[in-house]
Amino acid sequence: MTGATTKSAQMIRFLGFVSLLCGVLIVGAHITSQSRIRVNQEEILRESLAQLLPGMTRQVIYIVTPTGKLASAASGESGGKRIFAGFDAGGKFLGVVLEASERGYADVISAMYAYSPGSQTITGFSVLEMKETPGLGNKIGSDPDFLANFKALDTTHPVAAVKHGKKTNPWEIDAISGATISSRAVGRMLAASVQEMAPIIARHRDRIERGN
Amino acid sequence: MKETAPNPFINGLWRQNPTFVQILGMCPTLAITNSVQNAIAMGLATAFVLICSNGLIAAIRKHVPKQVRIATYIAIIATAVTVTDYLVKAISISVYKALGPFIPLIVANCLVLERAEGFAAKKPVIPSMMDGAGMGLGFAFGLTCLGTVREVLGAGTFLGIHLFGPNFEPWVLFLLPPGGFISLAIWLLIFASYRERKDRRERARAALLTIQPAEVQS
Repeated sequence: MTGATTKSAQMIRFLGFVSLLCGVLIVGAHITSQSRIRVNQEEILRESLAQLLPGMTRQVIYIVTPTGKLASAASGESGGKRIFAGFDAGGKFLGVVLEASERGYADVISAMYAYSPGSQTITGFSVLEMKETPGLGNKIGSDPDFLANFKALDTTHPVAAVKHGKKTNPWEIDAISGATISSRAVGRMLAASVQEMAPIIARHRDRIERGN
Repeated sequence: MKETAPNPFINGLWRQNPTFVQILGMCPTLAITNSVQNAIAMGLATAFVLICSNGLIAAIRKHVPKQVRIATYIAIIATAVTVTDYLVKAISISVYKALGPFIPLIVANCLVLERAEGFAAKKPVIPSMMDGAGMGLGFAFGLTCLGTVREVLGAGTFLGIHLFGPNFEPWVLFLLPPGGFISLAIWLLIFASYRERKDRRERARAALLTIQPAEVQS
């Protein structure tokens, strides 16, 4: 009987030791990698912003509060939708970048797009994350013909994707042949996001273009 | 058959290759090999996990009570995987995003637990780490073989470099799941026929050696 208890105690002690060892290793790795991971994330963000707003050297991040007000990200406000205002080296306002997401063919597609409040057009689009079918749906992030839709996409009329080769109006997106569902998701995502964000941006346009 | 203890590194890399000989860890093998970059990254991540978990398990092997050994191995493997997860995120976010949930899923890769139970639990630290490195790089080699076929045929690129010019029509099937199965089958066929031919040659040589003395006598 005592033999059995010693054995159980030994096992528990050993598992306790293993858990402690594992815990120390995991927490150690977490602490040492955090700063590097944050730097990487910021770099990725800066890269995708610069890709959408060529010539951008400085960005100001705003957060839309639940009441529709605009708060500067530097003020510590968090949780709302983000608006990135981009400026070139001379301090000239280039446009804003907004985030949008929508259910695609496989999973949620999340993307960023550049929006020009002056002309009310979408001037660039880039996918952040997706699990669309490789070789078909995932072309929404790379196909040059598809991305050409977003050089000056009119948003005064609701944006929508149309079948490949059927684009006739400046607010239509020419879908990728074989990837109509993914292309439509991009259309829906942009239409919903513009509808929500354009009025907020228009309301605060002066402040955003000044960058304060 | 000669039964000298094989070099654990070469053993994993070639003779007991996890992908082509043991056919272990098929989930990432099929899921993550649609590009060479993903295949290499996944292979290296698995190799790192194997080296860490094999080394740690070998270091404590004499103190592990038999009844709780699986729990111990799993805890150590999960730790190695979590550390790798942070490491990949710190090295490159884009690689991390491409590999998605498959880094955490290394925990469930039977190759890792099999090496813990089958090798590291009985051998000293250095050979166990060598075994982990050999098996891990053998796995990386297997994934890269598959990734090469799939990326070259499915996208016309190798490591993102275009190979065939603008008129190449990619064979998209190879990027989709069926392409994973087809390329795995092709590679398994190549390796199996190579092994069979080698075996037959060795058997013939052995037969020759046993027959000759008899012929001399008659």
